[in-house]
Amino acid sequence: MSDIAQLLPILGQGFLTTLAIFALTLLFSIPLGMVIALGRMSRFKVVRYPIKFYISVMRGTPLLLQIVAIYFGSYYLSENVGSSWLSFDRFPAVIVAFSLNYAAYFAEIFRGGIQSISKGQYEAATMLGFTKTQTFFRIILPQVVKRVVPASANEVITLVKDTSLAQVIAVTELFALAKKQQAAYASIFPLFVAGVFYYVANLLLSVLFGYIEKKLDYYK
Amino acid sequence: MNDILCVSHLKKSFGDNTVLKDISFSLKEGEVLSVIGPSGSGKSTLLRCITQLETIDEGFVQVAGLNMVVPDVVPAKYAPAKVLREIRLSTGLVFQNFNLFPHLTVLQNITMAPVRVLGMDRGGARELGRKLLAQMGLESKEKAYPCELSGGQQQRVSIARALALNPKILFFDEPTSALDPELTGEILKVIKSLAETKMTMVIVTHEMAFARDVADKVIFMDQGFIVEQGSPDFVFNQSGNERLSSFLSRFAQG
Repeated sequence: MSDIAQLLPILGQGFLTTLAIFALTLLFSIPLGMVIALGRMSRFKVVRYPIKFYISVMRGTPLLLQIVAIYFGSYYLSENVGSSWLSFDRFPAVIVAFSLNYAAYFAEIFRGGIQSISKGQYEAATMLGFTKTQTFFRIILPQVVKRVVPASANEVITLVKDTSLAQVIAVTELFALAKKQQAAYASIFPLFVAGVFYYVANLLLSVLFGYIEKKLDYYK
Repeated sequence: MNDILCVSHLKKSFGDNTVLKDISFSLKEGEVLSVIGPSGSGKSTLLRCITQLETIDEGFVQVAGLNMVVPDVVPAKYAPAKVLREIRLSTGLVFQNFNLFPHLTVLQNITMAPVRVLGMDRGGARELGRKLLAQMGLESKEKAYPCELSGGQQQRVSIARALALNPKILFFDEPTSALDPELTGEILKVIKSLAETKMTMVIVTHEMAFARDVADKVIFMDQGFIVEQGSPDFVFNQSGNERLSSFLSRFAQG
């Protein structure tokens, strides 16, 4: 077990990459998800239908495939057009793929939340003279946040584990490094340690979400 | 006194279903109007048309001297947004289901519109809110959330919320229908006290005794028409209209 002293710094390094994928994905996918949710509810078909299609592709194909498609797709596209601007490096490609994918899931969660707010809330706000923007940000959104926390917690926890898919284009996150160590030591112990990393991270997230839910429990 | 509300030849359909067929009436400042009639007669739709929650198809509506639609144009052509907004701010609506904002305290429910819509300073809005809560007998509840209140208390908060914008006409859409009889009494008391302050009000209600006692004028609607209108004494005792009598007798038995 003296190996663990050598193992931990290596896996810790990978975990930092995992955390970076996790944090950046949330940073981009949550606001993007909100915009997509609003577009999905647009009364204009030219907005609504392409977004429906986008969501169905994102949810209907493996994230693994999307990562590969964005990394290699952007590479071939830039080759053909002759502009290196279009080509993503590995890490940005992962962030783009994860953000686009998770935004689709968040969008559907947010849409459900927004649509669950009763028409009466909008009518009361209208009668009080609030503008549409005021109504959305001050009346509707705060109530939506409360309603989407449990479903969003699910997504966030899944995201922690999904980060391991980044290894498909050789981004050296936690799981990729653990597998390398597994080969080097001819032991599954590094994989087990990686599992503990994921588990502890999600344990902390569960506690955090439990706390947020409790915080928002002051009204029904 | 001038007419503060004037509705003439108003028509409204939802698809093939004509809900309001030819509605004309007027109301003077300081008067209380009760609107009665069977379910589906168009009472609530009429209220929602005047408060701009629904659009009208034909006819004319004037609120506090402002034309909501251009006169004599068919189908109805609405006034510019600025005018409509001014009309909106002079009309308050109390809903059957209260529609309080659940994430805000009682006081915040009342002060938010004065601050955000009228630009009142926070201190002044809070003062106004507390005054209105006291008027509603809820001074101890300002920090409570709507879910912590009884239905009657919630409805009183929603009345205070509507009054905070100092409307020229206050509309009530079956304000006691979601309440049990005991709580109904406390709302009716509040509305009566508002009537004593000469607040102009239009009340859609199924409380017949209340409709008669509080109102200066009563409208009986059935199947999208105003069947009878006049003083409470006329509508309840003298009209002799067959549909009205059979409607009232059902309540007398009830």
